[in-house]
Amino acid sequence: MTISKITTRKHFEPWRLAGNILLTGAFIAVSAPFLWVFLGSFKTGTQLNNPTLILFSPNLANWTRVLETGILQAAFRSVIVGLITVSIAIIVGSMGAYSISRYKTGGSTARFGILTAQVLPPAILVFPFLDLAYRIRVNGTLVSVVAAHISLVLPVVTWFLIGFFDAAPKEVEEQALVDGLDRFTAFRKVVLPQVAPGIGASAIFGFVISWNDLFYALILAPGNSATLPVRIAGFNTFRGVELGAMSAAILVSVIPVLIASFFIQRRLVQGISGGAVKF
Amino acid sequence: MSAVFLNQVEKLYGSVPAVRGIDLEIPDGKFTVLVGPSGCGKTTTLRMIAGLESVTSGSIFIGDKDVTALDPKDRDISMVFQNYALYPHLSVAENIAFPLLARGAKRAEVQGRIEEVATTLSIFQLLNRKPKELSGGQQQRVAIGRAIARSPRVFLFDEPLSNLDAKLRVEMRTELLRLQRELSTTAVYVTHDQEEAMTLSDVMVVMKDGLIRQMGRPEEIYENPIDTFVAEFVGSPRMNLIRGRVEGGVFKSPSGVSVMVPYSAHHEVVLGVRPEDVVLDLDPANGMPGRLEIVELLGPRAIVNIMCGTHRITAVIEISQLTGLHEGREVGINFRVGRTHFFEAESGLRINF
Repeated sequence: MTISKITTRKHFEPWRLAGNILLTGAFIAVSAPFLWVFLGSFKTGTQLNNPTLILFSPNLANWTRVLETGILQAAFRSVIVGLITVSIAIIVGSMGAYSISRYKTGGSTARFGILTAQVLPPAILVFPFLDLAYRIRVNGTLVSVVAAHISLVLPVVTWFLIGFFDAAPKEVEEQALVDGLDRFTAFRKVVLPQVAPGIGASAIFGFVISWNDLFYALILAPGNSATLPVRIAGFNTFRGVELGAMSAAILVSVIPVLIASFFIQRRLVQGISGGAVKF
Repeated sequence: MSAVFLNQVEKLYGSVPAVRGIDLEIPDGKFTVLVGPSGCGKTTTLRMIAGLESVTSGSIFIGDKDVTALDPKDRDISMVFQNYALYPHLSVAENIAFPLLARGAKRAEVQGRIEEVATTLSIFQLLNRKPKELSGGQQQRVAIGRAIARSPRVFLFDEPLSNLDAKLRVEMRTELLRLQRELSTTAVYVTHDQEEAMTLSDVMVVMKDGLIRQMGRPEEIYENPIDTFVAEFVGSPRMNLIRGRVEGGVFKSPSGVSVMVPYSAHHEVVLGVRPEDVVLDLDPANGMPGRLEIVELLGPRAIVNIMCGTHRITAVIEISQLTGLHEGREVGINFRVGRTHFFEAESGLRINF
């Protein structure tokens, strides 16, 4: 056993090395901009012109400037939008995914076509959204942003959960029906707990999608209802890009996403590989 | 406790019939086993009784209540599935309590019942575990415990033992039988294993192609199979079936088997004889001559394959009678008098004299 293991390792040594080099390269390519933005948020305007400058005395001017522009309020609005979007998407999406998984609702069209909307450029949908929002007088409010975000998040959440429902054995639910529950209670008390890991992961995934959206938020609710990405974009002014302040704002926006990704990465892979989860 | 009645129950999947209009009376307090090869409609029948499958036409009664259109929860039944279907997120105790709590019992009330059930099934020490921490046999016990926690009118079992290993299967079989006798609750049990059906059932229902072929006490079915299908399906090793022709009181097969029969008409028939009713004689002159091919030892008995002309005949004999018999030896074959069965060649139906 041990011997064969060693042999296998030896055999693949060059590949392993190449893989590690590739991964290290990818890591640097991804993390270098983060480092740059992080350093940039503590630089003065002049220092910012020198992106390779690593050793300098940090200054907090950018951070104070960013806080004055109400970045935290914008972040709070983003949180509200994200939470409402995700709550609705999970409630509706879990039922939809269950229906597609158990009852083959919509056939394979629904199962595989559900992400079609994701392929469309948002520019196609934004005008109808704007028009609709204007007609029911919610334009410029977070309500319109939530509605648009649901159109982004709901299909993803549903698609993500289908595989988890597929993996939950049908008999357990039938057992619950025999044991005295009606269909909906069985779904709530017996099926949902089995897909809880999927629900948690898709909630975080959906939240990140909403959190990062600039396009819809910018067009549907600029001004006083601006979400975080809209505020960040706002540092691109007629006087040019305020790189320092923008760097600080970007960090405010990136850190929650980083934390979230850390928690969901394993589940994310499971979801994408078709929910082949062993509970 | 209630009898179950199926009246002209039919189930179609699209246009494919799974169950073709069966009438069945499952007696109160008895252990009834539905048995048949896969695709015979036995599981569909059970699921229709449970309410997990709709009925295309016909009606189902539990006691005097028409349950045809009722939800499973309103039928007052318990069910054990092949894969046990334990609630993975609940502990053993919570699993057992589930049917009680789901029907509105209070948590404090059910504690005593959980302990009682756990003691009956010797799973007391497992009460706080989760299903995934249990072995297959233990999971099975929990599933049975959950089924008996309430006192339902009918127990339904869908091949509950087929995922267990052979030794455990026999053990659990005895235990199930003991439980059912104790509770004397009507039980309907589905299996493809005729041996399981024979040992468990008070009433055995043999199904094929969505129809009931024969129903009765297991020994009745074993002794008087209604057609060649039932004759072959019930009993292990299978009944020897030999095609031939009766002429002038003698059955003759093209393969060389010939037997005197109390039957005179000229007729194409199938002769059936159970392996234990085949008697071997060391002298080939005493009986039909045959050549012993293979001997399989089973312990106290042995299965012996003999070539008689071009026909292979299976016999089961006691070990004590094996003396002098070895593979390749010529023997005389006789069928025990009065233990042969005859079936019509065309329809396969039993011919009664």
